[in-house]
Amino acid sequence: MFESFLGGFAILFNPETVVMTFVLMSTGLFLGMFVGALPGFTTLMALAILLPISFFIHPLLGIPFLLGVYKGGIYGGSIPAILVSMPGTGAAVATTFDGPALTKKGEARKALEIALFSSVTGDLTSDLITIALIGPIAAVALLLGPPELAAILMMALIVIAGTSSGVFVKGLLMLAVGLFLGMIGQDPIGALSRFSFGITEIEAGIPILPMLIGLFALPEIFVAIEKKATEIIDAASVKISGARLSWLEFKGCLRTIFRSTAIGTSIGMIPGVGQVVAAFMGYAAAKSASKTPEKFGKGELEGIAAAEAANNAVNGPTLVPLLTLGIPGDNLTVILVGAFIAHGLRPGPQLMEEQGPLVFAILIAMVLANILFIFIGYICIPLFAKVVTIRKSLLLPLTLVFAFAGTWVFRSNPYDLAILVIFGALGYMAKKLQFDVTPLAMGFILGQPLEYAFGQTVILSSGNLVSYIFLERPITAAIIVLTPLITYLMWRRSMRLRRQFGAEE
Amino acid sequence: MASDTATGDEAAAGGRVNFNTVAAAVFITLAVVLFFIIPGQIDKPLINLGGAGMSNLEAETFPQIIAGAFFLLGVWYLFVSFRLRQRNLLRDLNLEAITNVLVTLVIMTAYVWLILFLGFVVGSVIMVFVMSTYFGNRNYILGFVVSLAVPLLVFVLFTKPLVTSLPPFPVDEMIPNNWVIYPPLKYLSNKSIF
Repeated sequence: MFESFLGGFAILFNPETVVMTFVLMSTGLFLGMFVGALPGFTTLMALAILLPISFFIHPLLGIPFLLGVYKGGIYGGSIPAILVSMPGTGAAVATTFDGPALTKKGEARKALEIALFSSVTGDLTSDLITIALIGPIAAVALLLGPPELAAILMMALIVIAGTSSGVFVKGLLMLAVGLFLGMIGQDPIGALSRFSFGITEIEAGIPILPMLIGLFALPEIFVAIEKKATEIIDAASVKISGARLSWLEFKGCLRTIFRSTAIGTSIGMIPGVGQVVAAFMGYAAAKSASKTPEKFGKGELEGIAAAEAANNAVNGPTLVPLLTLGIPGDNLTVILVGAFIAHGLRPGPQLMEEQGPLVFAILIAMVLANILFIFIGYICIPLFAKVVTIRKSLLLPLTLVFAFAGTWVFRSNPYDLAILVIFGALGYMAKKLQFDVTPLAMGFILGQPLEYAFGQTVILSSGNLVSYIFLERPITAAIIVLTPLITYLMWRRSMRLRRQFGAEE
Repeated sequence: MASDTATGDEAAAGGRVNFNTVAAAVFITLAVVLFFIIPGQIDKPLINLGGAGMSNLEAETFPQIIAGAFFLLGVWYLFVSFRLRQRNLLRDLNLEAITNVLVTLVIMTAYVWLILFLGFVVGSVIMVFVMSTYFGNRNYILGFVVSLAVPLLVFVLFTKPLVTSLPPFPVDEMIPNNWVIYPPLKYLSNKSIF
């Protein structure tokens, strides 16, 4: 693995691509912050509509671009949260506890700067931990055979389905829908046609890009247009005032930042929890550890630092289960899987073995992105503050333009536009009926590898599956036996967090 | 998972039969339909490949497992649904919201048609201008400038640096070649920027 790590530097600093990698990463960060700063526009939507751009460029350029959008979007949400008490993303809800109070006191600049520095510190530290962990975990993952992989995939899918929405069985049903949709096309072992219903356009399966954009971007647009753009934020009311953040003030928040980073990093590695819970947990931990908890909620810098460091610290570690086992931990990483698959790179143990240097190059780029993050964030704070005031009536149709263009360029097939709209409507209905579409997308993406691993297991067992697993594959047997228990514990934990923080993006 | 009802944000319970019960019935029906269509919707192998015969693993096996899981989960959901106290958010939609969503769906459908027949840029200009006006933009000049500039930018981004294709404006079919605007439009079209 260490050779792969060193190889990653060689790939990243290839003179032919290094400049473009950083240019695209900066563009991604800028766009992420821009969208994050727009109240009502989520990072998820930004990732979904910008995903197609990554399809047509080298993975070393495209995936860091999306990671930039991811990082920038999570931070960008704090800007309207601080200035106008409207969180740009769900991850920034905890920032509204202290941000607007500081703005009212005339210290908006200080609040925005502590949000930026805490986000970057949390992000950078967790990225370094991610790189340190990914090698050993990938090395262990490589020892797994098809039976173990099938068992792990099954467990991960059930855990994510169970923890993603409030009602366990609804998550599992969405997972089953995703697995069914993933079966449309060809079976992964015999390549026999399945469930194409005579429609030639889906004989190779439902195209992933229109499905992801439809499921994750269009419902956000539908929700946003339920009300016409009556709530326009007056540009004159958005002012960045007050003194800059001093080194002493930042130093005073360092303990909180590192505590929140630890919380965010741990949460990032657990599938199905996410930034929202991390931000609330970071905030709650900072408040209980503070000597002056009564100041929290009334304009406390540490409150912003705690929430922002925690939510950004989730970003890097979500890649650990993704890259080592092929399991995306949340809806944002599901979209990243789409980018990997488009380049013929299926996340999982084999990816680390076959493309280790490339994966490490992407991870190193992710660490270095934090330097760009701090520069772009610092320079563009006044600009992003103005973004808050842009009218939705103009932005929503433009989002549709990106969504449709991105879908079209995938296969230049009008049928894909229909798939986009159908999945958009499905996603909107699901949202309104309180179904989470994340398990659906995960079932769709992981269904084929699961079926393939299951098929290989059946072949290895020579028809005697149960005795093969329980007598010859003790790890598989242990995972199968422990799945209900782990699922129950994770579900209980997620329900407790949900009740405690009411966290739902 | 006995305490499935503990979802926190839910408000109105409604009767024993609620939208979740209806959704559960739909899922059960889908599972049954799935069982019936499996034999007809999965091709049969002409020869045994990949050890399929050796392991009795067929292309139908996994779909049957999923259909079975679908059915069992549907039944579980049906029983749980009577105790669920979730709000059907579709019922919260007022007339304005329903109208807006339907108008957007119509605009999207029309947009597909516009892209196919007028090309990406012209179709997008019309869609963005109409939609932004409908949703409250009253600065028409700004609306038109944005409607034109962004689709042009997206078109150039996808066709030039990303080397993909978007439907171009059908210059030859839409503009007579003796019109003044024909040569510049044809030039732009040939350069893949319109």
